[in-house]
Amino acid sequence: MAFVIDASVPSDSRATARTHSRPSVLGPCSSEDPAEASGAGSAGSGGGTPRRRRADSDLPVGARRSGGIALGHVVLTVAAVCSVFPVYWLFATAFRRPEDQLSQSPFPWPLSVQNFIDVTEQIPILAMMWNTLVMAFLLTVFQLLTSIVASYAFARFDFPGKSVASFLFVGSWLVPFQITMIPNYLMVSQLGLLNTVAGVVVPNLVSAFGVLLLLQHMRAFPSELLDAAQIDGRNSWQALWSVVVPNMKPALSALSIMLFISAWNDYLWPSLILRQSDALIQVGIRSFLTAEGNNWGAVMAAAGMACLPVFLLYIFLQKHVVAAFVRSGMK
Amino acid sequence: MFVTVAGPVRSAAEAPAATPAGASAAKGAGKTRSRLTRRTEAGLAHRSRRSPLQRSAPYLYLLPALSMLVMWTYWPLAQTFELSVYDWNMLPTSPREFVGLDNFRDVVTLPEMQRAVWNTVVYTAAFAVFSLVLPVLIALLSQQVRGRWKTFYQALIFVPFLFTPVATAAVWRWLFAPTGGAVPEVASLAGIELGNVFRDPDLAIWAIIAMVGWQMLGFGVLVVSAGIAGISPEYGQAAGLDGAGALTVVRRITLPLLSPTLVFLGLMTVLLAAQWTYPLIDVLTQGGPSNSTTNIYYLLYQFGFQNFDAGLSSAAGVLFFLAFGAIAVLYLRLTERFSFYDD
Repeated sequence: MAFVIDASVPSDSRATARTHSRPSVLGPCSSEDPAEASGAGSAGSGGGTPRRRRADSDLPVGARRSGGIALGHVVLTVAAVCSVFPVYWLFATAFRRPEDQLSQSPFPWPLSVQNFIDVTEQIPILAMMWNTLVMAFLLTVFQLLTSIVASYAFARFDFPGKSVASFLFVGSWLVPFQITMIPNYLMVSQLGLLNTVAGVVVPNLVSAFGVLLLLQHMRAFPSELLDAAQIDGRNSWQALWSVVVPNMKPALSALSIMLFISAWNDYLWPSLILRQSDALIQVGIRSFLTAEGNNWGAVMAAAGMACLPVFLLYIFLQKHVVAAFVRSGMK
Repeated sequence: MFVTVAGPVRSAAEAPAATPAGASAAKGAGKTRSRLTRRTEAGLAHRSRRSPLQRSAPYLYLLPALSMLVMWTYWPLAQTFELSVYDWNMLPTSPREFVGLDNFRDVVTLPEMQRAVWNTVVYTAAFAVFSLVLPVLIALLSQQVRGRWKTFYQALIFVPFLFTPVATAAVWRWLFAPTGGAVPEVASLAGIELGNVFRDPDLAIWAIIAMVGWQMLGFGVLVVSAGIAGISPEYGQAAGLDGAGALTVVRRITLPLLSPTLVFLGLMTVLLAAQWTYPLIDVLTQGGPSNSTTNIYYLLYQFGFQNFDAGLSSAAGVLFFLAFGAIAVLYLRLTERFSFYDD
């Protein structure tokens, strides 16, 4: 299922999208009716352009029409507003003054950070965020290391038992965590790690997803480079770290982003292990939600802080975050 | 009550045991190999003559990941099967009592189990709308929007996918709040009195579905858009020249070529449904009111960690595992038959 997707946009289609000109008919692509198409066409393309065929152009399936572009903008605007409004409302409420928390005005004014101050005074939210950050970082590092080494074994060697081993990794998708959580819980309990962050980390040092994702990339790795490394007298371990890993940085950083975000956002396992501790933010926020009930300003401030690292990651690495999640699905 | 920062730091000292042990062993094996094979043969390692230590190299590379996988996934799976025939309250001090298949009989006759199975079907079907149907519609209708605008919209649409589940629960509880919540305020403008949605046995499940659907939609739109962008435009052009209409192109060309993407999204729906419904149910409804929002995943948790009935939870888990596996195999068989690849 090697279905490589390039989400980037060919340059000439970007030009077409910007100018909104050159409508062409090679078979309509969206279900807009002719009236709508001509109406939007006059707005977008300055009317009058004779419709002609451009057989060599980079068109999507079907063809490009300015009516379709207008419709597309409408559809995407609606979807984007629906997606973003709850997020906006969260921060709008968080930045109101505590006495304005029931206000329905679309913009929080006057702005206030009092809710955030209240939260940090009521619960040690900064310590929780730090704990969660360290936990997510540790999980990312260990899952990355174990994934690199294991996928390398699959990609580079043939050995008896290989198919059994790879079946174990693929097959773990068929074991939802809820099925194994009681034995896992008992094991963590026997290790004396209940209510500790270590109890959250230790059972999750391996990501079967990470192994399978990296295996896709390792398989595509040019064997000439490995041959060259071998001729240079490097053994497989040296070749892994001096040849393979440096050349897989994009895949590895994409995987790191995904592992970090899913570690940060994980809820079920921490909520089981930390039943008497609020060390991690997901569990701590739940207690705060229950305790604070309808103190919406403070609750929204706490929820906003729980999302902060992931949002910062998204703001600074937006393209990479999206590409990581979307492309992983295409392999 | 709160552990200090020392918690994770302590774990740092314990955690490395899994990786470096295997890693350093692998390193040792690698060194030996290079000394023995001595650059006489080029090519991949498996082609060269090897000592026992070299032959064990792949196993040493696999050791960290595989041992953890067996220890925390497959061994527990076997234990779940074992626990399912015992009656036990999960206290190490209390004895386990062998009860044969009684747990299974109890599970299938429990009314809340039947309700949970039905709700799981409802959840999954509804999520398929948010993660498959709507994304396909949105992606098809907007495929002519490209370039910076496309990137801009997609960046916004993707945000909910990254949202921390507890924050999702918090913000939607606020949006649905009977006093001052944005949704009831808007609904009252339209003359609808919503009341407390999460206490309403008819509405609560739809509120949860809306929240998870909100999180899933952006991922679906981006994946389907990428899938459509990966389809060569020539097929559509050729069909257009042959006089095929818009719907025909979509039905006969776009959707078949998109089928691997849709199969992937379908699997993600099922997997994410398990992961994402749990925190929302746990924070907002605890499966209620009167079991109207519970599903299999949440029921397994309740049997085990609220009723402390390890046997019942394990029996339900075994049944769930078998059903899940059967559905997955069936699903993959069907998609193998109906998927269409462009290569």
